[in-house]
Amino acid sequence: MSTSEQKQVQTNTESTTHFGYKTIDKEDKVSMVAGVFHSVAKQYDVMNDLMSFGVHRLWKRFTIDASGVRPGNKVLDLAGGTGDLTAKFSQLVGKKGTVILADINSSMLNVGRDKLRDKGLVQNIEYVQANAQYLPFEDNTFDIVTIAFGLRNVTDKEMALRSIYRVLKPGGRLLVLEFSKPDHELLNKAYDFYSFNILPKMGELIAKDGSSYQYLAESIRMHPDQETLKSMMDNAGFEQTSFKNLTGGVVALHKGYKF
Amino acid sequence: MLAQILSSSLELIINKALALNSYAVDLNKLEQKTLTIALTELGFPLSFSVNSNAIIVSNLTERADCTIHTSVSTLRALKVEQQLTDLIKQGKLDLTGDIKVAQQFSVFAENLDIDWQSELAKHIGDVPTHKLVSFGNNMADKLQFAAKQINADISEYIVHEKCLVVTRSQVEKFNLQVRNVSDQVDSLETRIKVLMKGRIKT
Repeated sequence: MSTSEQKQVQTNTESTTHFGYKTIDKEDKVSMVAGVFHSVAKQYDVMNDLMSFGVHRLWKRFTIDASGVRPGNKVLDLAGGTGDLTAKFSQLVGKKGTVILADINSSMLNVGRDKLRDKGLVQNIEYVQANAQYLPFEDNTFDIVTIAFGLRNVTDKEMALRSIYRVLKPGGRLLVLEFSKPDHELLNKAYDFYSFNILPKMGELIAKDGSSYQYLAESIRMHPDQETLKSMMDNAGFEQTSFKNLTGGVVALHKGYKF
Repeated sequence: MLAQILSSSLELIINKALALNSYAVDLNKLEQKTLTIALTELGFPLSFSVNSNAIIVSNLTERADCTIHTSVSTLRALKVEQQLTDLIKQGKLDLTGDIKVAQQFSVFAENLDIDWQSELAKHIGDVPTHKLVSFGNNMADKLQFAAKQINADISEYIVHEKCLVVTRSQVEKFNLQVRNVSDQVDSLETRIKVLMKGRIKT
């Protein structure tokens, strides 16, 4: 058995995973992550703007620009939450295209659906409650799949990447926007200080939920760095994989194609 | 990220301008059409797509129906539809794709007519708006006068006091003298040729 195959078996047979810095049973992660997002759903957009000083909007714009979306495309916005990417994709694919906003969490999906309906975006958007590991779509369905700030909350990331690969059309692409590892040590330290000292306090003050934002900071640290995620995408079958660091590597956009 | 900052700001401004326009602009003909402008001064393209009577600005190039390569200085002239072909002939812009899309966007830009004073008056009232606009016009006149004055003073200093450059009349006088010398040389050359011919005959 090759080293990679051994690794694969190890990953598949492991019954534990991370929830922030805690090690928990894999079967518990979904409900624990669900608890976090049920709790923060209503304040999610406000907190995003406050925590990132509005820069998350630019990261998401960058993702749209890198997607190469065309009118008529079918797009899956996975872990789409409150629908920021869906809103933009909906305008760019037009009436002939479709955008599916999928999230495992019903509270996030409800907030997203209300927000998009309030914006008058109803024509070409569908809502699906789905687990990224078991996508309920046929093979070769989507031109583009995006997952923004969602992959780190998935219990089995490799399985989710394989599931995404399956539902992408040949020629389709996956874009993963996720917190990553800053490339400068000084920025890393400042970011650590901000994440563990200021972020939970902001969460406590505004969303009345400091522990969820403590989990956010911890889950970011436990998420694979840029190169590791790229190799995970390679292992899942994606080709021409690449990543681009944004804001000094605080966030990275990974891209891969299915041919 | 500069590209994203610029595109989001432009999107906000354009759609605000559309909302404030004196009459409703019909963008139905341009639905899902995209005009991409690649400016030589910027390192990235700007794409303008139409969806449900709103403009979406992005840096996507894959969806362009028409792409214009030009410079910032030519952009202003693009607002006038009739100038489009002239600018292409002059080599000031390079256009690929459907020219009709560029023309329709040009018509849209030409038709934008926003009554800024009325919009401002809605927020701060008629009298403050009048005062503010008068003050603004006054300041603009003064700035224009000051700019002219500074220009004249600098010219005076460079030309007459420091003699770093010559005046137009001095250049014209010099050119006239050069032409006179050239004419004299030509006539001397002709005379020499005539004399040489006569000498060869004898």
